[in-house]
Amino acid sequence: MRARRLVLAGRLVLAGVLALAACGASTVAPSRPVPLPAAHQVVLDTTPKERRRMLPPEVYLRAYLGWFGGLAPIDVQNRARPKGLFDAWDDYLSALGLPDYKLDLPRQGQTNTLMLATLGRLGEALCVRAAEHDLHARTPLAQRVVFAFDPVPAPSLDDFRTRFDVLHTTFLGYPLRLAPADRVAKFYALYGDVAARHRAKNPLSPDETAWAAVCTALVQHPEAELY
Amino acid sequence: MVRWVRVLPLLAIAASARAELTLPDFRYFRALSIDLQGRPPTRDELAAFEQSGFDLDAWIDTHLTGTAYAERLERIYMDLLRLDVGPSFQFVPPALILRRQQVMGPDGMPLYVYFRRGQRRVDPATDGDFCLTFDDTGLDFPPNAAPTGTPRPVPQKALDAKTVLVRPWWLYADYRAPVPADRIGREWAKRFPGFQPSGGLLEDALVRVCREEAQTADTGTVYVSGRPPIKKGDPLPAGRLTPPPNDSGFARAARGRAVSCLSGTGFQNSVQCGCGIGLERCLPGAGPQFDPPGFMLPTQLPIGSAQPFDAPPKGISEWPKLWWSEEARRFLDRVFLDDRDFRDVLTSRATEVNGPLAQFYRFMTGATCCGPAADAGYSEPEPLVDPGALPTALVPEDTATWLPVPDRGPHASGILTMPIFLTKYGSRRARAHVAVNAFLCKDFVADTVRLAPSTEPDLTKRPGCSTCHQTLEPLAAYFTRIAESDWTWLPAATFPMTQARCKGEKVPGYCKQLYDPVFDMLRSAYAAPSHAEQGPAGLAHELVTAPEFAPCVVQNVAQSLLGRALEPEDDPWKTSLTKIFVDGGYRMRPLVRAIVTSPKYRMGNDAR
Repeated sequence: MRARRLVLAGRLVLAGVLALAACGASTVAPSRPVPLPAAHQVVLDTTPKERRRMLPPEVYLRAYLGWFGGLAPIDVQNRARPKGLFDAWDDYLSALGLPDYKLDLPRQGQTNTLMLATLGRLGEALCVRAAEHDLHARTPLAQRVVFAFDPVPAPSLDDFRTRFDVLHTTFLGYPLRLAPADRVAKFYALYGDVAARHRAKNPLSPDETAWAAVCTALVQHPEAELY
Repeated sequence: MVRWVRVLPLLAIAASARAELTLPDFRYFRALSIDLQGRPPTRDELAAFEQSGFDLDAWIDTHLTGTAYAERLERIYMDLLRLDVGPSFQFVPPALILRRQQVMGPDGMPLYVYFRRGQRRVDPATDGDFCLTFDDTGLDFPPNAAPTGTPRPVPQKALDAKTVLVRPWWLYADYRAPVPADRIGREWAKRFPGFQPSGGLLEDALVRVCREEAQTADTGTVYVSGRPPIKKGDPLPAGRLTPPPNDSGFARAARGRAVSCLSGTGFQNSVQCGCGIGLERCLPGAGPQFDPPGFMLPTQLPIGSAQPFDAPPKGISEWPKLWWSEEARRFLDRVFLDDRDFRDVLTSRATEVNGPLAQFYRFMTGATCCGPAADAGYSEPEPLVDPGALPTALVPEDTATWLPVPDRGPHASGILTMPIFLTKYGSRRARAHVAVNAFLCKDFVADTVRLAPSTEPDLTKRPGCSTCHQTLEPLAAYFTRIAESDWTWLPAATFPMTQARCKGEKVPGYCKQLYDPVFDMLRSAYAAPSHAEQGPAGLAHELVTAPEFAPCVVQNVAQSLLGRALEPEDDPWKTSLTKIFVDGGYRMRPLVRAIVTSPKYRMGNDAR
């Protein structure tokens, strides 16, 4: 029954096609191209670009020595070494991407994991040492090298913001008001986490340890290592 | 109560700050600081930048004159030229290195005695070797190794006969005085920073030296021992571990003739040549080994010699190498600091030297001369740096004082004739190659021709080789008259382009070393003999007058400051920068200013 209906339908279609063919073929002319209506215009910047440059290791070293209080390289090593914060410059220099002209090793133009680990280690050594010097030793503000503010215990977000701005400007080179909106909240959360996990004095207090962690995170921030 | 001692002023400044400053503005200022100050900006500098009256143009101009700016540009060319030599090149000419042996003194106490391996002595038992024998000391002295045996006290008579006491240059700044008294002390660390002899070199007020080494004459006479030559397998003379030096062909031919004690030839052929007054022609080594420890030297100097990192004891050969490299850095820095014509880097006959370099140029450059060339009558080398042009005020310890040398001499030509360049790039082709690469931004890339066996000695014609060597060989010819891996000048008067004596089957030894028998002329000259006569100055002229020179400088500097390669889209900008550079007298300051104030520098590296 169903098969008969299908056959009938097929015959009707065939008949229709034949009738149309008998009436003569009508061609459909293509329409003239018309520009699409503009929704909005965007100006394309076609200048060649690359990702931001890596801070030259020489610049990093000079900045690092400055953040350490303008010390000579050997003095930095002597000051940071005793507490296991630092080994020796020779252990780090090649990993920073410096060229070695003696061995014809070129300057590294891109970061790698070893370099990032080295920068992290150096940052940690700097920030812990600076926290000991500036905060723990209660050094007068005028003589502080990194933490040029008076800390308050368990700071509120507003207390944190004004102090964090000092570190932010030091390491990233611009004021906090121009940073992404969520930056303060992220670093405040980091501060809280670290302070909560370091309740025992070691010898830094929880707040001092938390500031050292914030400092370390900023030294390792991509914006600090690129330009 | 919170004390805002340092923060309040910043807040006060912020009140009058330019509120319109945006993140790109701060990033631009940070980039400028990194490139022109060599470090990120401080908080105080950022606060000043935010003030409404801040004049960024004036700030840029001020910082285009500083040492950090010069060092930034120096880095570009040091990265290209890599002017430092590694451990594969050991500079230990026997004429320069005073090695040290420990024996037992007459009182039974250890005693150091300094000597030169290869020092000529009349005594056949010690000729070319340590001046004390087994009979004197109970010890054997194998070459470049610690003595073996059981020491016994050296008889005072033997000690007095064979050694003398000297006040050497590394212990006395006034070593040339009749009675030197300005002995190394604690204050020397400040007076001569970086001068740190190691291995107990400073222990004694006087050093004991073999008598021949302590001689001070400028010239000696050629010595002929008359001993029959010792061949391989012959028994060694009694008491010797090594054969004594044979009389060279030069010595037999020039017996009794005067020879300069500043040359290697004098050292090898005269018993009258020593280390000079206060041993100033020699470098002290704290041991008998091949490259004995001499000085504490920094492994790396990434932010300059004034800020050294670790400085462990290094072999004595590292001492001159360090200063060769520093000379090139200082030379580049001076061109950039004084904003001189950048072409001076290749053409200038000036340089700067400190104490160790003045000592090297005055007393030590001849030590590698002249080898077989002495057979051609060349035993007093023609210097690349005229000793008379060197400042006399510098003592060898003075590492910190750099004084200008306005004119090194007629053969000098920028960095092309500095020891660091000539040893880093030992072969003549390597020298030409790196110069073309760094200053014309061109490289030598072989074509795709399959190499087939060939007997064609002319590389400018040999299939496959000719692609590069057609260009390279004539350029390498400019270095014909400077020995390879060395700085010895081969003057035309002694070494004409072709030498009749060097034709035929049996020729003197120097012919094989210096003349190419295939082309019957000085080695490396065949592709362009006229270039050989022009010397490195000819290459410098060819490079700086090439149309590619200025665009290449622009490319190198712009790429380094932008941190990216220039693209075809940058061509119009590159052309305009080239015009600025050339119109500005090939000085870097207008070029760098144009780059760092351009939108490409300011905006080009914003993250996408």
